Amino acid sequence: MNFKNFSLITITLVMIMVLSFSAAAQEKLVVNTYTSDPAPRKAMKELVAKYEEMNPDVDVQLNITAHEDFKQAIRIWLTSDNPPDVFSWFAGNRAAYFVEKGLVMDISDVWKEENFYEKFPKAFKSISVFNDKAYFLPHNYYWWSVFYRESIFKEYGLKEPQTWEELLEVGETLKANGITPFAIGTKFRWTAAAWFDYLNLRINGADFHKDLMAGKIPFTDERVAEVFKKWKYLIENDFFVENAAAYSWQEGLRFLSNGDAAMYLMGQFILDATSEEVSKDLNFFRFPILDKSVPVAEDLPTDGFMVPAKAPHPELAKDFIAFLGSVEGQRLFAEDLGRLVTNKNMPAEVYDKLTLKGREMIDNTDKLAQFYDRDMDPELADKTMNSLMAFWYSPEDYRNIMKEMEAHRQNFIND
Amino acid sequence: MELSIHQKKRIRQGIIFAALLVFTIVWLLPIFGAVLTSIRTMDDIMNNGFWSLPKNVTFKNFFTAWSEGNLNTYLKNSFIITIPSLIGTLALSSLVGFALAKYKFKGNMFIYLMFVGGMLIPFQILLIPVFRLSNYLGIYNSYWGLIMIHTVFQMGFCSFFLRNYMITIPEELSEAARIDGASEFKIFYKIYMPLSLPAIAALATLEFTWIFNDYIWALVLLRDDRLKPVTAGLATLKGNFITSWSVLVAGAILATIPTIVVFVFLQKYFIRGLTMGSGK
Amino acid sequence: MKRKYIPWAFLSIPLAFYTVWVIGPTIYTMYLSLTEWDGMTAPQFQGIDNYLQLFNDPIFYTSLVNNFKWLVIFMAIPVVIGLFLAILLSKEIKWARGYKAAIYSPMILAPVVIGLIWSWIYQPQGGLLNNTLTYIGLEELTRGWLSNPNTALYAVIGAAVWRHTGYVMLLFLSGLTAISPTVIEASRIDGASAWQRFRYIILPLLKPTTVIVIVITMIQSLRAFDFVSMMTRGGPFNSTNVLAHYMYTEAFKNYNMGYGASIAVVLFAIMFIFIVMYLRQIRKGELE
Repeated sequence: MNFKNFSLITITLVMIMVLSFSAAAQEKLVVNTYTSDPAPRKAMKELVAKYEEMNPDVDVQLNITAHEDFKQAIRIWLTSDNPPDVFSWFAGNRAAYFVEKGLVMDISDVWKEENFYEKFPKAFKSISVFNDKAYFLPHNYYWWSVFYRESIFKEYGLKEPQTWEELLEVGETLKANGITPFAIGTKFRWTAAAWFDYLNLRINGADFHKDLMAGKIPFTDERVAEVFKKWKYLIENDFFVENAAAYSWQEGLRFLSNGDAAMYLMGQFILDATSEEVSKDLNFFRFPILDKSVPVAEDLPTDGFMVPAKAPHPELAKDFIAFLGSVEGQRLFAEDLGRLVTNKNMPAEVYDKLTLKGREMIDNTDKLAQFYDRDMDPELADKTMNSLMAFWYSPEDYRNIMKEMEAHRQNFIND
Repeated sequence: MELSIHQKKRIRQGIIFAALLVFTIVWLLPIFGAVLTSIRTMDDIMNNGFWSLPKNVTFKNFFTAWSEGNLNTYLKNSFIITIPSLIGTLALSSLVGFALAKYKFKGNMFIYLMFVGGMLIPFQILLIPVFRLSNYLGIYNSYWGLIMIHTVFQMGFCSFFLRNYMITIPEELSEAARIDGASEFKIFYKIYMPLSLPAIAALATLEFTWIFNDYIWALVLLRDDRLKPVTAGLATLKGNFITSWSVLVAGAILATIPTIVVFVFLQKYFIRGLTMGSGK
Repeated sequence: MKRKYIPWAFLSIPLAFYTVWVIGPTIYTMYLSLTEWDGMTAPQFQGIDNYLQLFNDPIFYTSLVNNFKWLVIFMAIPVVIGLFLAILLSKEIKWARGYKAAIYSPMILAPVVIGLIWSWIYQPQGGLLNNTLTYIGLEELTRGWLSNPNTALYAVIGAAVWRHTGYVMLLFLSGLTAISPTVIEASRIDGASAWQRFRYIILPLLKPTTVIVIVITMIQSLRAFDFVSMMTRGGPFNSTNVLAHYMYTEAFKNYNMGYGASIAVVLFAIMFIFIVMYLRQIRKGELE
């Protein structure tokens, strides 16, 4: 390993680098997404290929980054002089954050030209349009519900529970037969947040939920206590798998797969994760109604796309956005992933049976929410989800935990 | 019955051998688990758990990881980033190490302190300032930004390491050379560098694994997948909700192959260099 | 060239780079710790508010204590096992090369995979550790290693120790090869016992290697980040958080760059105490 060899290697590498830089000089449409799960990754790649096929003169460069990393890298991309042209993002509060900072481009002209105001259901306007300007293109969404093993329900003669009492009955029957009612893995906390969301939506309704998420209502409110009381009952009566915090949601899925547990409160993407044999056995029901007087609400996280304010190729970017809003630009997500898509003109026959059932459930829903950490300020969400975990460990302590959450809210307000 | 010294020694060696064997097998269990995971399907894992025998063995994960994870591009990038950084940091640090080890001057301790301090900085906090710097210099989203930060950031530890090594080289050697009319740079190049080769080789192995395994700098300083190193490439195999563990692990195993090669190669120099050094 | 300029001639280029890429950003970070900044809009100067908040922050103290636990365990276990293995394997033992390769193999496996596999080892149901404990009749010891706040930190450190021991062994091995066998042979003939040989011959000769090992170990434990971020993300409720990870969470996930910077400055200050102690030590040694 003498110095001659070193310098030889160096020169070769410099040459390789110069070559690769010059190759990069040609113009491209850069699209950065967080679709890193196996199935969405494939769908996104095919979507881009389709666009390239329709526009042979455009070369799309798709960069896929893992979700957690994406959330951190996006701020760097947006503040750099060299941001991507299009990026994937979450509807609602998270999108509004970038709008406020002036980091994303107004795409109202695309909305107008393509008539997205008519083509998308009205509900999507409120999460995409801020101050009368459209900044976000809602693309696809998925529903949350209780997924369950049909074979287990059949074996013990169980029916889909519609009310709290029926849910408890189903749970007791399952437990009596040595089956844990609910699978869950709370290591990364959001699965627990889903339970909070649903209990709160069912007990206190979507309007209360929205204000609570926005930090407008104290967590020490007595109505929040009701949520914890119900939840406490389930935890203390062994409705969930033991040591849930040791598993990620995907690891926790194993209990459902091997039949140790019968149900899982989860988003539609659960169907991408189970084996084909188990997927066939999965069905779902709407989270039971706890109070008939409360309008029915569902979590409906929506993903879409935005254009950075400093995008190098704004015209191309907008053309791509228009494509993403079209039936062709959404078909793959509906067909292959079973996601619901925003364009109303999507023919119903592309959806499979379960997705149609999901769509029907959404059609009969009065109010919508996004999801705990999508509706709430990210920092407040992070801190209060820690409190939810503390609750999971010692549910009897819920009064203190409410106080702790309230302290976080106070910090949030004062900042 | 009395055992001869020879027999006793053999028994003792046998016990050590057996103990080591057991220890190593236990030590390798996680690796074994990784290999097991890489050769089975996700459905098998979901239905039977991680620590079960695979129902059927498949090598498909390796192909998926290679194509989905674009491992050929990423591995090439890893080398384009790691090797110049390694050479750069070793070259610059040997200059620093030499200057600090050889000369007594005002500020010696202060500069030493600066480099030692640098190696202890929690690098995560430099991410944003360095991103802004590279953006300002126009090398954001290129190999150069990463090469620069690795080269310079690793100088802390390398300078520390080489300074400590070079200070053990006897002054008489350079005195003799100086009498022969050698310049200071020649002393550095002809005496200190060759004598420090074992230390440099040892350092190179360590630094190689450090730079090669970095992933956060790549996340922050690069925008495009086509430039990313293999660690960042592997990270993109992690899903938001769903990760194909078997593909991820298979990818990681593939990604270690070049490291193993480099390791074996450098280690030869490493040990040989050291024995040469001690024989002087 | 005047003699006193010579060292600066060697230092000029490295120092220039170092100033631009490390010193500058470090000073900038120190400035940031006095501001409130979301990383996107302009930083707002607000004096020492971040530090005041920090000293009242229970998570900061938890993380700090965890860092010290990490440091102590890292100084004890991998260093001792690594040294022991190095001495054992430097002798002529059958398959020594294979053993060496096996023991340092963890260090070339990507940390993300190590984190994944170890999470599975610790899993309460079907995890390797609990299965083994049950099998050998110690069922009462089984638990959710990573979900139990009392064991989670040690479980994470366990994975890190597994990775780190190989490094240490490798470094000691290289140190040992440099010791001439004749020295050890001579002491053997003088009738020194194995322990005496180790204590009075090998250990002193290994001192330079030991310094390097300790410094690397210290850096690794104070910078501990990868495994925490992969295995627990600091949970359950911060019981496994360490400063580097807490700082990263604050700065990058919660968009509090200023607060994150203040954590970094404090972490850096703690490390600096160690450096100064160390430098005084070597200064004494080299003046002698």
